[in-house]
Amino acid sequence: MSQQNTLTYARVNDDVIRMLDKPTFKWWALFLPTLLFVGIGAFCFIYQVQYGLGVAGYRHPVFWGVYITDFVFWVGIAHSGTLISAVLFLFRANFRMSIYRIAEGMTVFAVLTAGLFPIIHLGRPWNFYWLFPYPNQRELWVNFKSPLLWDVFAVSTYLTVSSVFFFIGMIPDIAAIRDRVTETPRKIIYSILSLGWKGSNWEWLHYTRAYLFFAAFATPLVLSVHSVVSWDFAMSNLPGWHTTIFAPYFVAGAIFSGLGMVITLTVPIRKIFHLEDYITMDNYDGMAKLILVTSGIVGYAYGVEFFMAWYSGVPAEWYQFYYRATGEYALFYWIMIVCNVIIPLPLWFKSMRSNIVVLFIISIFINIGMWFERFNIIVISLSRGFDPAAWGIYQPTWVEIGITVGSFAWFFMFFLIFLKTLPSVSIAEMKEILPVPKKEAKT
Amino acid sequence: MSEDKKGGIKRRDFLKIIGVAGGTAAVASSCSEPVEQLIPYVIPPEGIVPGVPNYYASTCRECPAGCGIIVKNREGRAIKIEGNPENPINTGSSCARGQAALQGLYNPDRVRSPLSNFNADKLQPVGWEAAQKTLTEKIEELGGSGNIVFLSNHISGTLGKLVDEWMDALGGKHIQYETFAHEPLKEANRISFGIDKIPTYHIDKTNYLLSFGADFIETWLSPVEYTKQFSKMHGVKDKQVGRFVHVEPRASLTGSNSDEWISIKPGTEAMLALGIANEIVSSGQSPNGGGGLGGMLSQYSTDKVSAMTDVPAETIKQIAKDFASMGPSLALGGGVSVTGTNATETLVAINILNYVAGNIGDTVDFGDTLNISNVNSFQDITSLTKSMENGEVDILFIYDVNPVFTLPKQLNFKDALGNVKYVVSFSSFMDETTEMADLIMPNNTPIESWGDYSSRESVNGLIQPVMSPVFNTKGTGDVILSVSGQVEKLNGRFTQTTFYDYLQNSWKEIWAGASSGSDFDTFWKDSLEKGGYYKDVSARPVSISGAVSSVKFNEPEFVGEGDFYFMAYPSYRYYDGRGANKPWLQELPEALSTGVWSSWVQIHPDTAKKLNVSQGDFLSIESSEGVIETQVYVYQGIRPDTLAVMIGQGHTSYGRYAKDRGVNPIDILPMSTDERSGGFAWLSAKVSAVKVSKSEQFVQTQYTTHQHDREIAQAISLTELEKGIHHDDHHSDADFYPPREYHKYRWGMSIDLQKCVGCGSCVTACNAENNVAFVGKQLCAQRRDMNWIRIERYFEEANNSAGFQTRYLPMLCQQCGNAPCEPVCPVFATYHNPEGLNGMVYNRCVGTRYCANNCTYKVRKFNWFTYKWPEPLNWQLNPDVTVRSKGVMEKCTFCVQRINHAKDLAKDEGQDVSDGAFKVACEQACPAEAIVFGNLEDKESEVYKQSHDDRGYQVLSFVNTQPGITYLRKVTQYEESKESHGTKNHKDHTG
Repeated sequence: MSQQNTLTYARVNDDVIRMLDKPTFKWWALFLPTLLFVGIGAFCFIYQVQYGLGVAGYRHPVFWGVYITDFVFWVGIAHSGTLISAVLFLFRANFRMSIYRIAEGMTVFAVLTAGLFPIIHLGRPWNFYWLFPYPNQRELWVNFKSPLLWDVFAVSTYLTVSSVFFFIGMIPDIAAIRDRVTETPRKIIYSILSLGWKGSNWEWLHYTRAYLFFAAFATPLVLSVHSVVSWDFAMSNLPGWHTTIFAPYFVAGAIFSGLGMVITLTVPIRKIFHLEDYITMDNYDGMAKLILVTSGIVGYAYGVEFFMAWYSGVPAEWYQFYYRATGEYALFYWIMIVCNVIIPLPLWFKSMRSNIVVLFIISIFINIGMWFERFNIIVISLSRGFDPAAWGIYQPTWVEIGITVGSFAWFFMFFLIFLKTLPSVSIAEMKEILPVPKKEAKT
Repeated sequence: MSEDKKGGIKRRDFLKIIGVAGGTAAVASSCSEPVEQLIPYVIPPEGIVPGVPNYYASTCRECPAGCGIIVKNREGRAIKIEGNPENPINTGSSCARGQAALQGLYNPDRVRSPLSNFNADKLQPVGWEAAQKTLTEKIEELGGSGNIVFLSNHISGTLGKLVDEWMDALGGKHIQYETFAHEPLKEANRISFGIDKIPTYHIDKTNYLLSFGADFIETWLSPVEYTKQFSKMHGVKDKQVGRFVHVEPRASLTGSNSDEWISIKPGTEAMLALGIANEIVSSGQSPNGGGGLGGMLSQYSTDKVSAMTDVPAETIKQIAKDFASMGPSLALGGGVSVTGTNATETLVAINILNYVAGNIGDTVDFGDTLNISNVNSFQDITSLTKSMENGEVDILFIYDVNPVFTLPKQLNFKDALGNVKYVVSFSSFMDETTEMADLIMPNNTPIESWGDYSSRESVNGLIQPVMSPVFNTKGTGDVILSVSGQVEKLNGRFTQTTFYDYLQNSWKEIWAGASSGSDFDTFWKDSLEKGGYYKDVSARPVSISGAVSSVKFNEPEFVGEGDFYFMAYPSYRYYDGRGANKPWLQELPEALSTGVWSSWVQIHPDTAKKLNVSQGDFLSIESSEGVIETQVYVYQGIRPDTLAVMIGQGHTSYGRYAKDRGVNPIDILPMSTDERSGGFAWLSAKVSAVKVSKSEQFVQTQYTTHQHDREIAQAISLTELEKGIHHDDHHSDADFYPPREYHKYRWGMSIDLQKCVGCGSCVTACNAENNVAFVGKQLCAQRRDMNWIRIERYFEEANNSAGFQTRYLPMLCQQCGNAPCEPVCPVFATYHNPEGLNGMVYNRCVGTRYCANNCTYKVRKFNWFTYKWPEPLNWQLNPDVTVRSKGVMEKCTFCVQRINHAKDLAKDEGQDVSDGAFKVACEQACPAEAIVFGNLEDKESEVYKQSHDDRGYQVLSFVNTQPGITYLRKVTQYEESKESHGTKNHKDHTG
């Protein structure tokens, strides 16, 4: 066991539940700005609904831009949450124990954020429910051939499953909090949420089976959801999109970006709440290694895209990649390469993997790089399609920037509420990896 | 409260429900547009069946060509203009300007009622009675002296006669002014053949066409007619094509359609024509042995001419050889490039060339001459201006002309206008001239009025009102008659009180001349139905007059010290500026640059480098008369020593769409005239140009000139055409899915790129038919133009004398059999219909825009905003087509409303739709007849035959979209060098 320290069952309870104390000034100082930016984002969206999508930077032929970039980015972020909580659970990778709750929270909130964008980007968002197959007297139905419809199912399934998984995993912990808190409203809420958990053997038996089942259920979603998202692009015929490599490439990218976001989130939490004994450097080392692997896959994909474009002999395909690296958007392309392939390279060294500052900085760059990866795939491909007469350049406007910033605020708003209301480290599972407390000898 | 059990619902509950439901509906509907009310007729007007259009034949008055039109009227509103197939001039086609006449009719900036400045300096609305009374008084007061002038455009018909009579009675003068009056052509014909007329030409009968500057596809004489003839001549028949060589310092739209563009030193066309003639005569190729001109021509040896004109001797010899041997041939002369100070001489030289090649009387027809030769000369306009300046004109009537805009500034027409005691304008638009008038009596547009127009001997076109006037306007003929009734001096002069009676009376003469054997009423009705009276005029034999040998062929004179020759050329979109107030024309991308909503100067790449400017920079162009500043468009089809700016923009008035947009190059033209004819010399300025520190995005709709190896607009060489083409046919067994099956109909189209001239009339026709929104310059700059058809133009490197070849390709929805847009729509808003159309259900669209992303051809347009048609432009909207609102994708559906209409009609008769039973809007308009639409399931149909032509190919067919549109390759007439178009050296501007 790695936890060769003074952590005890009691201390775990104390430490985790202490995080739920009355919000401090610092918390409010973080929380209120998120509300402000969510408000700004909401204003931008209302403005856009009122005047039309033209207030965004869209133009022929770039019909998708920052909103879909944001969508893919947030879906990607969501992925490593499930990876860490479900996949690593099945692999019995103990380094997940301390961070999986935060990662799961991140997943749920990231999907909540991602789910907004397909609606925000619609030309007529007030008709968004037409995308769902519901019986209606007009006998209108949806088109199951459309990857966008697969998206609807993938994202809603993912949100449902990850929320259920998130919640199930928390039941014993909420019961522990319920036992601790005394004030009436909190007591009632936690009592309801704990579903009457008593911690009996019978309950534990079923609980662990259920948890295993959901972990197994969620695992394929890690692969399938982002594959489906990638098919939004891969199923079309546009040069730069029409490629079979997209599904694995997107999944690897999603895990890569998700791990980046986990580090970005946990480093400050660990510092602020003094969780150094829980989220250890070994945990980070494991994540850093995963980052290296996925960075390698992503880098390989970047190279293979060029090779395939050249090898295909299709001028439109080759030009697309030539243009990515040299055209108007070349800066973004090279930002992506540097952030995703070059900057993670120091992680090959143990000393770097165990340096929290280095990890934090690299994780920020990964977030940036992965956002631009999606932007590049979407926007650059669209701006240089088959027909040169229809080429054009896209630039986002303040509305899109406002909504993007708002989406980050929306995510952090949920996250901050989560930190103060739910146990951000799994109390129950932490105890699985702690030495069993010895009974004090009595006389 | 009484209990009412019967209803099962209490009144109060009902109200509650209604209240809640209504509130919900109000909240729900706040997202979309406000509800509009439909108000049914109480007493339906006679002759109007809702949903059933009426068609009226009439005559287009957007330029002097006088094409026949048919105007579609729905529920009392004119909604579409199409060419009249009965009319021998345009035989059913139309140009973009003709289509856009509707936006003149419904222009929101029309003068909406009579205006008078009787109280103050400001023009104020008055009633018609008051306006007519004012005019009557003025005529009584000032008319005694007889210093009255009626300045009109070319009104050749009955209105012209009425004005003549009226002016006679008042002792005044009627002056007809046309901006492009072609005086040198008339004078040259007088000198050469003793006939001071402008002939008609038979381009379709030629095998070899040599044009000296004549922009016959754009504005010259009769563009629709000549485009049609050109396409017949230049199109492929029996694996043969005609050859077209264009001589001009710049490759105009017409020039860009040539097989060889000869870039000639400005003003030296006469030398080249004589040089070619000499070559023909001296090499013994002239059928009439030079007709006695051999001696005179011998001074123009090929080498000498080559040195003077910058045209290589080889080229001159080649042209001479082809011109003589490929007959029948034809040389045309016209346009601004040959309208310098030696214009008449140049045209005489061209006449000589035609003569020695034996073309006169064959492809040049002096029987059916054009009436535009009857307009007053530029000298008359000059002397009118002088007398106005001297206060010798008491009353000036302005009718449909805008001389303040179209005359050079040096003439000072504007100031002269200030010295006229009383100016009356009949213009329906507040243009630069009209805004200086004392009294404005707005005329009906031709779509609202009775009239006639005869552009040539053989055609008497009738103009009939298609709808009641949109505004409080009145036909000028009626005004003249009614004012005449009030002026004492004119009492009893006119027996008719309405212009309609006067018109009919005047047509009795035509009826008498026609000796048709029917009574007048039948003749009148028949003429109305056909759009006019057409007769055959036999060609008139002509012979060259001895006078030509005495003509001295001088060098042209240029005014100014600058380094560059300056060409102000008429625009095929705005003509002399009158089209600039129509948003369709403003938003129709100019063929060569694809520029919209502005002005620019065409400049050669080398010159641009020398002046250190690039596309979008502003250049200050200074002549002896003034300076204009305009944007640079770098174009390889212009000589390095020439700058060219189109005419039509730069209005300081004329409504919201025209005002303060671009520059008017006429402003800096010097007052030079052609010595012999007295016509205005359009090409007489030398200018200097310097870069100014201003740069803006050059707003265009296509930012590349290059195909980037995509092989979109394809061509084959003449030799390949003759040998037959090897086909890489698509193998359907390679498909995963079985081919789609169609029953009865599979709508398809073929577009012949050898015929397409890039004029854009299909674009405007489509806009009119399908309620396609115009969006303005700012949104065009953001690539948000909505045109469903775009004319793609590419400059391909070529082994010809110009070094490049222009290719035009109209790109519209390809109605793919295997359409990428269809499977990706999550809500089935776009779907494949059983007749092969990619249907688009606007109401179902939620706006994911995935279809457009996946469209290989990028022909889908998205409504980024809800676009508005300012009242009453919205009256033009086609009620058969949904008006789209924000958030919805839209696209071409092959005019599905027309297809359905045709199917309905066929069903009534118990038949299938026959080939050619109807035409889609773009096909209908196309003057080149490049577009053929029809049923591909019908093996006898024209479109089936065209689609299986040897030259047929489908754009980007390797994507396996299986388009419903087949393009026929352009034919190149030079020896193909190795295809060389790498991507490296081409830097495209993007926006």
